Amino acid sequence: MSKELPPEDLLNRMARQDVAALGELYDRYAPRVYGLITRILPTPEAAEEVLQEVFLRLWSEGRSLSQEGGSVVAWLVVSARAAAVDRLRGLPPGGPIASPRVDKARIVKAPDASARKAKGAAAVKSLEGKPEALKPRPAEGAATPAKRPFPPAWLPLPKEITLIDDRLMLLHKAINQLPEPQRQALDLAVYGGRSGAEIGTEMGEPLGKAQRSLRAAVTFVKHRRRAVCGTWAANI
Amino acid sequence: MGCQHLEELHELWLLGALSEQSSRDLREHLARGCPHCLARVREATEMVYLLGLGSKPARPHPRVKAQLLNKVSHKTAPHG
Repeated sequence: MSKELPPEDLLNRMARQDVAALGELYDRYAPRVYGLITRILPTPEAAEEVLQEVFLRLWSEGRSLSQEGGSVVAWLVVSARAAAVDRLRGLPPGGPIASPRVDKARIVKAPDASARKAKGAAAVKSLEGKPEALKPRPAEGAATPAKRPFPPAWLPLPKEITLIDDRLMLLHKAINQLPEPQRQALDLAVYGGRSGAEIGTEMGEPLGKAQRSLRAAVTFVKHRRRAVCGTWAANI
Repeated sequence: MGCQHLEELHELWLLGALSEQSSRDLREHLARGCPHCLARVREATEMVYLLGLGSKPARPHPRVKAQLLNKVSHKTAPHG
């Protein structure tokens, strides 16, 4: 029985210009990455472009990634999410950290802003499994982000990601225990790339309440992850 | 400058949900090499990974892989 090569071994091969290794990484992780991208972007065409963009960047950045020893699958998922969110916002490709929204006045003036507000929670609800609910933003409303290479030193180690993968069902079960408003706020941030202010607008809630919901959700998940993965820290 | 005021922001920053000012504060702090915040960013990356896996896997059209490998092969092909 042949044993599957660890992804980091494939990354090392890919860093030495091995096209077949890139193909193996793609076969292994494209469904996971594409599933995330299609939840964020409204059309398959845009999702396919972003998928390809992410793997092309993996190819070009593979050498630095392999030298640092970080998790390649974490890089793929985080980079894919950020690239898809930037595409949703109408921004040019920037980097794996989704750009913060910088011009709130333009958000309010966006053509579909009032309609989204009126729909409130119903619009949020429709996000689940229906990425078409999220319309691409007009490019004119967004600031062009600086190029933001994701330092490989920011990546968790492969063993830390393996721990998450092994306990994924348990972790998602914990996330599903979030109170509904917090869960909606988190979904809007993760899959819609929304800021606290935008989440308030979409959920029809005051800014402060929306921001508190989002922060509470993030804190809840962070602490659950620490507990489930055995890395509970003292600063809670 | 300490970083207690940044403690709860690393995940929001990676999600792109922070204001521009808070993002700038965190970026500048990280650029100064704070080991605590570096560890927190790694932890935040784990969390974004975890949240990103909340969507169901989907199989892209085979054409996407073919195009990808074709582009990469052209980049690596010896010239001349």
